[in-house]
Amino acid sequence: MVLEVKKPRALWEIIFSTHHTDIGLLYIISSITFLMMGGALALAIRAELFLPGQQIIPDSNTFHRFFTVHGTTMLFLWAIPFGAGIGNYLIPILIRYKDMAWPKLNAVAFWMIPVGAALVWIGFADLGWTAYPPYSIIRAPGPAAELWIFGLKILGLSSVLGSINFIVTMLKCKHPDLPIMKMSLFAWSILSISFMTLVAIPTFAAALIMLYTDRLGVTGFFNPALGGDPIAYQHLFWFTFHPEVYIFLLPAVGMLYEMIPKFSRKPIFSYQSGVIAFLLLSTIGFASWAHHMLATGMSFTEKTVFMVGTLAAVPASAMHVFNWVATMWGGRIKFAAPMLFGVGGIMLFFASGAGGVVNTALPLDFITHDSYWVVGHFHLILMGTVSLTFTGFIYYMFPLITGKMYNEKLAKIHWIAAFSGIIIVFMTQHILGLMGMPRRYFDYLPLPEWIAMNQIATTGAWIVGLSYVLMIYNLLKSSVKGAFANMSDPFNIGEQYYDYRRREPHH
Amino acid sequence: MAGHAMYEWIYIAAVTAILIWVGAASWDVERIIEEVPADAETIKVIGQQWFWSFEHADGTKEVNELHVQKDKPYRFEITSLDVNHAFNVPDWTLMIDAVPGRINTLWNMFTQDGEYLIQCREYCGFSHYNMKAKLFVEPAVTEAAAESGSTAATTTTPPAQQPSATQQQQSTSNATSTAAGGNATSAAAGGGVTLTILEGASIQGSPDYDPDELTVKKGDKITVDNVDTMPHTVTNGKSGSDPTSGKLFDTSIINGGDSAEIDTSSVDAGAHPFYCMVHPYMTGSLTVE
Repeated sequence: MVLEVKKPRALWEIIFSTHHTDIGLLYIISSITFLMMGGALALAIRAELFLPGQQIIPDSNTFHRFFTVHGTTMLFLWAIPFGAGIGNYLIPILIRYKDMAWPKLNAVAFWMIPVGAALVWIGFADLGWTAYPPYSIIRAPGPAAELWIFGLKILGLSSVLGSINFIVTMLKCKHPDLPIMKMSLFAWSILSISFMTLVAIPTFAAALIMLYTDRLGVTGFFNPALGGDPIAYQHLFWFTFHPEVYIFLLPAVGMLYEMIPKFSRKPIFSYQSGVIAFLLLSTIGFASWAHHMLATGMSFTEKTVFMVGTLAAVPASAMHVFNWVATMWGGRIKFAAPMLFGVGGIMLFFASGAGGVVNTALPLDFITHDSYWVVGHFHLILMGTVSLTFTGFIYYMFPLITGKMYNEKLAKIHWIAAFSGIIIVFMTQHILGLMGMPRRYFDYLPLPEWIAMNQIATTGAWIVGLSYVLMIYNLLKSSVKGAFANMSDPFNIGEQYYDYRRREPHH
Repeated sequence: MAGHAMYEWIYIAAVTAILIWVGAASWDVERIIEEVPADAETIKVIGQQWFWSFEHADGTKEVNELHVQKDKPYRFEITSLDVNHAFNVPDWTLMIDAVPGRINTLWNMFTQDGEYLIQCREYCGFSHYNMKAKLFVEPAVTEAAAESGSTAATTTTPPAQQPSATQQQQSTSNATSTAAGGNATSAAAGGGVTLTILEGASIQGSPDYDPDELTVKKGDKITVDNVDTMPHTVTNGKSGSDPTSGKLFDTSIINGGDSAEIDTSSVDAGAHPFYCMVHPYMTGSLTVE
């Protein structure tokens, strides 16, 4: 594969490199691979639910394993590594330093990902990605559950190491002529999530160890039979994973700040408001974790506090949306594929954010909680906003990485299919949830409206799946046979592209 | 934020105002609906892998069926005995987790009679999707009948779902005289055949029925001993989706330590697979000669 414009290199040189662009590329390629693997599981799940009764997955246990590994893969092997990969590739360029602060640590952080991924996929556990006890302690079969625990432990450590590296790179190695308030908003997004990772991950890391010793039977932290409290785990889990939602989201927000002004041929409406919104989200994001647990029997006061905490995070997200729309307002917008994906992401961000307000409004939460509404809601943010924007950024970065241009027509077909498919699947799932269908169901009641909704959702999912196969074809073919890109302005928008000539010596 | 900041401030103020309104309205509604009326009658709800059991205030117990009266407030005390479940009646938007070691409460007054679905909404393992029960809302009984309200509720229960008390007593006395090993695979002359549900059978992969393949002569009576602590059934068919399931023979729920009896005189000769409705991975086969 051609990885550098003028000078192709042997594969092993890239694999064992510690240079930030090589590691960034490894992150990007492996995360796209995991996106396709996790997507295959999702398509199998949707095919199973096309009709009530057992269809293509032999039994409910296998089905539970499918959705567990699907969720774990998409969150920890696609969303996080992709953000880290683009960060690796771009942050040193954006802050004008030769590499990441600690290149070897960077390589170590990356190589922990395949190890963690192997554990998760070999184990193929049935815990659900949340691994709630007591099920995960007293019922989930080993060694799958143990492999999952250790896999996530390693993935968590990897993202902590990556975050430390990002923070030090940005705060210590930034070019002296570049003040922090002139730093790209994408760099700000990575800086915010790196701090969030350092605060959030240790809680879950501790919970994982407790879960493991509980499984060994030597402790009873979460086991009610030994005096433990299963709800305590949920608090530790969501203290990590609600902020983690922003850790998935903010890189996409940063990427939109990279793309929107360029394709609108206008400066960002308000740089300061973008920075403030990042800082607000990364702090208020820690005040809402228990809105995932409103139905566990919390007191009225607790529920009120977490509802308020959740609503408080909304204005900051709204500031970002306002900023993008105001940037586009009156601009000469060029709807190349990256921009289309970006705008699609913004539209669905608004939709999923509004759905989130419904979820947290107390009486309504008990209608939507653990139903297909919730499945639709978080997929709308993760697939609709995060993954669509990431996909747009893959196309945006493609000339920088390969020196070639992708096929614009195929990329636009991809966008139409992916965007409409995502709406078909996940909006339908919202309705299905309101009709009362719970999530994580292997089989469902043969009610005509449930069957119809499931069939629409399955069709949409397959459209999305096929569109991503088209993307892989486009990327592979274009990187080998594509036309050489005009590297100073590959999208013909008259705006500065990244400095492709900057090639620091490899270590 | 100099210059064009004003538009943004107006926008943020509008968003914040909407959110405050949503929050205040939600708080107010939730406050009202969480207030349990003083005369609400308590029903204990227990979730277990993978069935619901209910206990009324007068001690009446029901499994996978719940009979309540219209226009009467009920307070549900919900818990679980193994893993997390969630008690959910979608038509009445009742939903709260059933967590072992905790009692969560909900209340409701059912204002329309009919049959409603009770389902589990928190992932709980193998049969999560099949952990369902039925809620029967019945018209309010008159003053005279109210005194024997509990009997009214039990008599409307379909007999197939309720283990007969006499049957239980009979078979318990039989159980003491039968060896728990029960490896008799064919009918012993004059005696019954015993099918034992082993301890730990509810855990997937453990030995379940003993013997797994049972051969009897037509007309034999099979005593089913449940020596496990969990409730089980012996129901004909391969699984719940089998259309003939429960048509040939069905013990319905046998609680831990109890017994039941299957009369094979009405079962055709041939091999009949059977399973446990609560734990569908427990399977066996009955051959009638």
